Amino acid sequence: MKKINKKNISKILFLSLILAMALISFQLRKTQGIEPVSVADEISPQVIFTIGPIQVTSTVVNTWIMMALLTIGAYFLGRSLNIRPRMFQNAIEWLFEAIRGIITLYIGETKSSLFFPIVATFSIFIATSNLLGLIPGLSSPTIDINTPLAIALIVFISVPYFGIKTRGLWKYLKHYVQPIFIMLPIEIASEIARTFSLSFRLFGNIMGEEIIIAILFLISPFILPVPMMLFSIFTGVLQAYIFTLLSCVYIGGAVKAHTTS
Amino acid sequence: MDLSTLPWDKIFVIVTILVAGPGIVIGITFPAIGQAIVALSGLKAISRQPEAGDKINSIVLLSLAMLESLAIYVLAVVLILVFANPMRTFILGN
Repeated sequence: MKKINKKNISKILFLSLILAMALISFQLRKTQGIEPVSVADEISPQVIFTIGPIQVTSTVVNTWIMMALLTIGAYFLGRSLNIRPRMFQNAIEWLFEAIRGIITLYIGETKSSLFFPIVATFSIFIATSNLLGLIPGLSSPTIDINTPLAIALIVFISVPYFGIKTRGLWKYLKHYVQPIFIMLPIEIASEIARTFSLSFRLFGNIMGEEIIIAILFLISPFILPVPMMLFSIFTGVLQAYIFTLLSCVYIGGAVKAHTTS
Repeated sequence: MDLSTLPWDKIFVIVTILVAGPGIVIGITFPAIGQAIVALSGLKAISRQPEAGDKINSIVLLSLAMLESLAIYVLAVVLILVFANPMRTFILGN
């Protein structure tokens, strides 16, 4: 009986807190006329300071903050490794196994440790940068087109690098003209097009999410954006997974020998 | 009729909205149908042969991502039209 009462009290408190926040927000807007910043200002990166001719935008500063968080977290995690894994170590080992599974499925089992660092970097970097926008005051580095384009260019360069490293220069170049030499321009065009498709997929998803949250924030602060922000956790992690998967498929296409029957 | 007296900036904004709204509707509809077909056939394949579930699952996710990028292209074009139209200075001057 007591437990049920406690639960009910906490529910009533929670609901009344939400209602009070909504009322306060509406009242504030009515009396003071607080106009939220426009959507375009919220999305576009601002120049924070300049070093000579280089403009350092808020995207870069957010990336630095994220890198610092990841580095400190990795340092403290690496110091306290046990044979019997604890909470965080368990999660990290699960992530390791998942990335290893993707690599064995799409690239091949034999040299999975060669591709592991770059693929794991993609997944961790993109997942953290998508989730960084949930922290108030910071914004995801991926809503700027330059960050996804940079990551996609790394994929674009690493595909021939791994292809030449594992199969040799001549064999790698041969696979462009493998069935017939007419395929050469199509292969080159697809290599360039998929770089843009990779970057635009990541950018468009996170950007669209962020714009929807900003528009809902214009309508009513505090309440309406919350379900969309919860949904953005799901889409952010999903986009990181899809980027990792696609980069594995592209690298695997260059590394795997063509099945010559 | 003098064309220069028309309120070109208002016409520009109205035309942009009239293009962007239906544009995103059309551009989302057809990739959605394609994604539905992919998900449906993936589900059918898994129910017919559950032991191949993992492989089918990853292929379905891959093709869903490929189809989603079409919708994302439409979104990017519409966002550019609304927020950062490169033709704005060409049409409106200044």
